[in-house]
Amino acid sequence: MSEKPKIGVYTCYCGGNISHTVKCEQVAKVMADQPDVVISRTNMSLCSDAGQSQIEEDIRELGVNRVVIGACAPSLHEPTFRNTVVRAGLNPYLYHHVGLREQDSWVHSCDCDGATCKAVRLMSAGVAKARFLDPLEPIRLEAEKQALVIGGGVAGLRSALDIANQGLRVVLVEKSPFLGGRMAQLAKVFPTGEEAQRLLSELIDEVVQHPRIGVFIQTEVVGVSGYVGKYGIDLLQHGRGVTAENGEALAAGCTQFVPDEFNYNLTERKVIYKPYQGCYPALPAVDWDHYDGESILLNGKKEVLQDQAQPYQLTVGAIVVATGFDPYTPHTGEYGYGELPQVATLAELIRHLAVHPEAKSLRWNGRIVRDVVMVHCVGSREIEGVDALQEDGLVNNYCSRVCCTATLHMIEELHTHFPGLNIFDLYQDIRTYGRGHEEYYRSALSSGTRFVRYNGEDRPEVIAALEGDTHPVLVHVKDALTYNQELEIPADLVVLATGMQPRQIDDLVRMLKVSRGNDRFLLEVHPKLRPVETAVNGVILAGTAQGPMNIQESILAASAAAAKVVSLLGSGQVELQPFVAAVNAAKCDGTGACVEACEYEGAIALETLVENGKEVKRAVVTAANCSGCGACVSVCPNRAIDVQGWTLAQYEAMVDAIAMDIVDLVEAE
Amino acid sequence: MTDLMQKPETKILILATLAGGYAGADATGQSHLDYPSNTYILPVMCPVMFPPEFFIRSFERGIDGILLMYSGTDSPYKVEAAGTAKLINQSYELMKERGIDIRRLRLAAICTVCVKPFLKEVNNMHTLLKGIGPVSAEIKPQQAEAQRTLP
Amino acid sequence: MTKIHVDALVVGGGIAGMQTALDLGDQGYQVALVEKEPSVGGKMITLSKVFPTLDCCSCITTPKMSAVAHHPKIQLFTYCEVDRVDGQDGEFTVSVVQKPRYVNADICTGCRLCEYECPITVPSMFDRGLGSYHAVRVPFSTAVPQIAVLDIEYCLLCGKCEKVCPVGAVDFTQTPETFEIDTTSIVLATGFEMTDVSAKKEYGAGRLSNVIDPLMMERFLAPTGPYGRVLRPGDGMEPTTIAYVQCAGSRDETLGIEYCSRTCCMYAIKQSMLISGALPLAEVTIFYMDIRTFGKGYEQFYQNAKAMGVEFVRGKVASIQEDENHYPIVRVELTEEGRVVERTFDLVVLSLGMVLGDPLARFGLQPAEDGFASLPSVNASPWATTRPGVFVAGTAGGPMDIVDSIVTASAAASAASAYIRSKTQVSIEEGEVAYV
Repeated sequence: MSEKPKIGVYTCYCGGNISHTVKCEQVAKVMADQPDVVISRTNMSLCSDAGQSQIEEDIRELGVNRVVIGACAPSLHEPTFRNTVVRAGLNPYLYHHVGLREQDSWVHSCDCDGATCKAVRLMSAGVAKARFLDPLEPIRLEAEKQALVIGGGVAGLRSALDIANQGLRVVLVEKSPFLGGRMAQLAKVFPTGEEAQRLLSELIDEVVQHPRIGVFIQTEVVGVSGYVGKYGIDLLQHGRGVTAENGEALAAGCTQFVPDEFNYNLTERKVIYKPYQGCYPALPAVDWDHYDGESILLNGKKEVLQDQAQPYQLTVGAIVVATGFDPYTPHTGEYGYGELPQVATLAELIRHLAVHPEAKSLRWNGRIVRDVVMVHCVGSREIEGVDALQEDGLVNNYCSRVCCTATLHMIEELHTHFPGLNIFDLYQDIRTYGRGHEEYYRSALSSGTRFVRYNGEDRPEVIAALEGDTHPVLVHVKDALTYNQELEIPADLVVLATGMQPRQIDDLVRMLKVSRGNDRFLLEVHPKLRPVETAVNGVILAGTAQGPMNIQESILAASAAAAKVVSLLGSGQVELQPFVAAVNAAKCDGTGACVEACEYEGAIALETLVENGKEVKRAVVTAANCSGCGACVSVCPNRAIDVQGWTLAQYEAMVDAIAMDIVDLVEAE
Repeated sequence: MTDLMQKPETKILILATLAGGYAGADATGQSHLDYPSNTYILPVMCPVMFPPEFFIRSFERGIDGILLMYSGTDSPYKVEAAGTAKLINQSYELMKERGIDIRRLRLAAICTVCVKPFLKEVNNMHTLLKGIGPVSAEIKPQQAEAQRTLP
Repeated sequence: MTKIHVDALVVGGGIAGMQTALDLGDQGYQVALVEKEPSVGGKMITLSKVFPTLDCCSCITTPKMSAVAHHPKIQLFTYCEVDRVDGQDGEFTVSVVQKPRYVNADICTGCRLCEYECPITVPSMFDRGLGSYHAVRVPFSTAVPQIAVLDIEYCLLCGKCEKVCPVGAVDFTQTPETFEIDTTSIVLATGFEMTDVSAKKEYGAGRLSNVIDPLMMERFLAPTGPYGRVLRPGDGMEPTTIAYVQCAGSRDETLGIEYCSRTCCMYAIKQSMLISGALPLAEVTIFYMDIRTFGKGYEQFYQNAKAMGVEFVRGKVASIQEDENHYPIVRVELTEEGRVVERTFDLVVLSLGMVLGDPLARFGLQPAEDGFASLPSVNASPWATTRPGVFVAGTAGGPMDIVDSIVTASAAASAASAYIRSKTQVSIEEGEVAYV
């Protein structure tokens, strides 16, 4: 500490709130006689303009360089007085606030002497701490005014656009060769009935034309380093394999067919492909995972295509994870899926109808469908001990939130296009919670859909019918709506309303050091305080990577994520509170106990330094990654590390002041 | 000043987290509920910063009871819940070695509006200290003369 | 008349409005936050604990309340109502009425001496009428700002408060004052009200003393509540059998409220769990049609409640009457058993739905069929109302829980921010820094 402490002590009456119980004048008198105190005053209302001006004047006129205020709770007026001392040219952290109202006068109203003694001790503890106060500067980190958005589905697109529209630069990366994500596979979206692909293409147009957005397609994130404000990102962009000139011709010449995952393998596509008309980019791409390496005929010449992957490096201030979901794939045999050809998922049915827009009747595997059974909660709301475990040994005990409305939306579509259908809906609870969603439920009821309520502990069974039966499959279910009557429903098609699960992003999770919940979705810090932020500073969540959501909800989450990114990086600087660990290198002898105790990745490490010609190990704190919890402080054998602003020495001094007999304090006069 | 020079009373140090006990104490104040005045509340960010020796030292200086009011599993810090429990257990070992009644140190999870739990903890400790007396009965207090002239 | 210029006006200081204001303020925009009550905090500050984490509600709300009060970019206008919105296309003039507090807000220190002196007690609206407070008072213990307000309707004009006030803040001469705010954008976060129970005659139309609404139960369960425990308002008895009637005021064509209110399943389950904690002997029964625990972690919450012994009965409650001792009798059609039964409880909670809080006409907006703000393009810009530059956050745009309100609030902030930039091209002040 360079300067000798000159402490100003102020005891506030709080308009009588404190002074009616605490003898403020006596407190001020005892404080005036403590070492290093140059002025001790009382005031009727210190937070008033007049009170604040007095403090400023004392700083200027008397050279007060530490301020101790005894008043209301610090949560109320600490910011007020920090500003006061700053106005007078003092570092804001050279001020200490003692709560004399909520924690003294208001709780000892029948014990004036006790309350006064307590005030004396608390104020002298404040003075003791003030002697050890050091000026602190907030940790300011240069922030790159650029964000990385991982995922080119609706959430990633929306997030990128919102961030860019708020003045920052964005790099959007999409792993697949086309933008749009899962939303592109939908036909009409609830509750508006708009075409998903049209909505998407409007959004994509805005994104790709935006001057502040760079789009990297067929690109993977392969490395992440650094911290908030300055993340180093390694990208690997795969080659498209075709050019604008030869793309269509190569696609035409291509003869290798593979299952088309865009249509959930219901159809085949070429290995040089476009998933759908109107996709972006419009240029075909080579599916490198499946390309057999054989040559392709182009203008009479044989061409062998090669993936010329290109690495990129960039620096971003924040990262938005919008990696989306995969529809749950039922195990083979789950409700007959994969074994009985007349069992499909809802996602498959949506693609089937999209591929056959003109169909006059519903056909599945060539068979005309008259009786359809929809089964809700497939791969959702599973019960431990009842349902089969997923690969990782867990059950999907969460609700996927979108399937109820999606199923009833489909029922409405089916009734509209194929009026003669008999539809059975096997559900547990109908969860049409959104605005305009309940209407689908009412529509299904009024169109004659037969609702059957099953119990989650007794799920329906789907079996093959005997040969020669009128229908290919039979569904057995106990209907809770009719005294658990056992029903056997003959069906031409069973549609499984499958839930959502997060995309496989293990590598990314490792690189970003983000956490996942029991449901495997990415975990937010707190559902209300920081609902779209992860525990890693500067890594933000958007859309279904965080949990099941519909399109509207994904968009909202994506925009919320954008708001967080802009708040964080908008100024080009990130400011962190200075209450982080600081090492006294002179005392540190490199035991590493602090490093072991620290739970925050990259907050503290041992570094090898050369001291007097000898190599020594010393702990070094990376302030940006430090939470200031102090786990390192308690384990250091040399007391070489402290949390700035909250040092152990300060606490010891405060304890000593509290422990001191009042007689001794008074005698210090 | 003589009216302040009353007979020495037991002293309870309350280390309370800003995210938990400290706010809980403020909430108690807002409700104007009385409790004993021999209670000295100091704000802390996260109690894992205190080594067990800190508590021993406080007892040696004449603090008769310590309440550590932390945020438990609601803490904003990853280590608070587990780390604090561990430190407290280590402290108990040290206290036993020194012959200090381990009930003088107590850990309690107090939230920002935990008025009743706050009062309960304070009153329990107060009653306990009335029963077992000041810490000086167990160890010889060491007044911190050196600290008074610091720095 | 004073005139204030801001980039964004946020109407409503509940959780959604506060979050929007904070997000915009953190981005460096000048924000005016207008709240019609004397304190910010909205409905949320009156709640006990919040699902699915069971965090205490104050712990989440009060820091946000404090943050809006201290934020250098946010001007807080409490006890103010928007009267009219003129202009369009990024140039709005909003006329706002400051209601008289009868206390000079500039000098009141919140010391509450007036409150202690006031001889009048009135039913506390903060406690949903369960407790009482004085005619002059700081609105509630954690109110922001901590400034007294005098309820002139109940005041006897005895002048005791005026005499006791150490700073002379009591001022009986105040009148409503109108001022104007010029703003580029507006975010509506005007919130919700519970469905009007008096409309439902079958459920006693609010006249049965031991049939309460869920916000009353929140006050019973809240640590800051009027009694600090759960009791029957009728006679103060500790209830041991408690029923929840789900969809009381939602999915109900007879009330003209056909939509699902989204929150009732979860709050009923949450309250059941809290009641089980507060009254270990109590038995809670929830009568429901569909349990809609669709949010993150909600289904687990539901399963936990079942495991704790909360009874879930699928059935439609046809009517509620009371016996001669005011014990409510619930007549319910058990849909799984196909019969009608009557069960008597100590206390019944009607899981009321949400309806729009403040009328939209003042903002030049038409409500949609369900009464909430019409959002023409929910799958592209779900924050946009029919009036460009006017955005919606939280339950003004439809029923939703706190988590969703906060997300929509941040999304609305994002949309407003982009809009402000497109209209003004103001670059945010250099040197402004973001806090993490």
